Amino acid sequence: MILAIDETRCKGCNLCTKVCPYKIFKEGKKPNRRGIVVPELDRPERCTNCRLQQLYGRTLCGVCQLTCPDQAINWIEEQPYELKKVAIEY
Amino acid sequence: MTFDDWYRQDRLPHIFCAGCGNGTIINCTLAAVDQMGWKKDDTVFVSGIGCSSRAPGYIVTDSLHTTHGRAIAFATGVKMANPDLNVVVFTGDGDLAAIGGNHFIHACRRNIDLTVVCMNNQIYGMTGGQGSPTTPRGCFSTTTPTGCVEMPFDLCELAIAAGANYVSRWTSYHVKELEKAVKVGLETPGFSFIEALVQCPTAFGRRNKFRQVADHVEYLRAHSLLKAKRDRLIEAGEAVPDDMFVVGELARRKRPALGVKP
Repeated sequence: MILAIDETRCKGCNLCTKVCPYKIFKEGKKPNRRGIVVPELDRPERCTNCRLQQLYGRTLCGVCQLTCPDQAINWIEEQPYELKKVAIEY
Repeated sequence: MTFDDWYRQDRLPHIFCAGCGNGTIINCTLAAVDQMGWKKDDTVFVSGIGCSSRAPGYIVTDSLHTTHGRAIAFATGVKMANPDLNVVVFTGDGDLAAIGGNHFIHACRRNIDLTVVCMNNQIYGMTGGQGSPTTPRGCFSTTTPTGCVEMPFDLCELAIAAGANYVSRWTSYHVKELEKAVKVGLETPGFSFIEALVQCPTAFGRRNKFRQVADHVEYLRAHSLLKAKRDRLIEAGEAVPDDMFVVGELARRKRPALGVKP
């Protein structure tokens, strides 16, 4: 699972930047097509809920999702990891 | 299932202003309702008029959007007509404390099996920022341009005095605690009243030096005093700070309730 912000719902209030205990949400810089500055994710793999919610079978922290007044934050399924060929030069 | 399943996805995003705390309170309430395992057909959300009372329009269950201040009166009718239904009332401070004050105290007195979630933003947000009965002393609004001179209502004290079975108060910062409080309120037979203080950046914050939403939320966090801490202060004989409000579970009783199936 991976953290995701729904840009069609976010209104740019930046409350998530205040409540996240890991400070994953950072204030955005560029306004999107609707003129709203959506927060950016800083290394979202640090989120506890992303890593452990399937192991524990429950939502672990989830404060950002509860706090978001616009229901824009949720966890989505990750794309399967693709193996890449890396050429090693000696 | 999560609380997101209780939203009408076709109606989102909602019309609340950016940073309005009402969405947070709806999230917490729906998360608690979701944990109760109720069926969507057996749950009714009732609301009056105001910003907060737009909430049932975004929820997938049956709902009543009623006249100003009469949400509890309508909810009483729903509950008495069919006690099998689970009735949750969303209301605001202008709706509950000002025009619906009498319905509120009599619902507490009857102790009817409702859960009332009051989103107290301390101002009339929808009509342009007029002072409400819960506007704190000294705060500015459209109708109090030199600062409010009246004492505000303490809705929780009112509910306790009138006889509600469960009373608690939290803010929009304390989301987990609020979720648990709403869940206890839903489980309690009889009248349960949960007051949630929310930020209102457009009408309240703009006039009261909380231009940023985070500033207002930080104010709510810093000025909330836990009930246990308040009790400790009183026990030690120290003064309780005037500008702080008590949060936590303020009353839990087992008075005989109306509208509960035997």
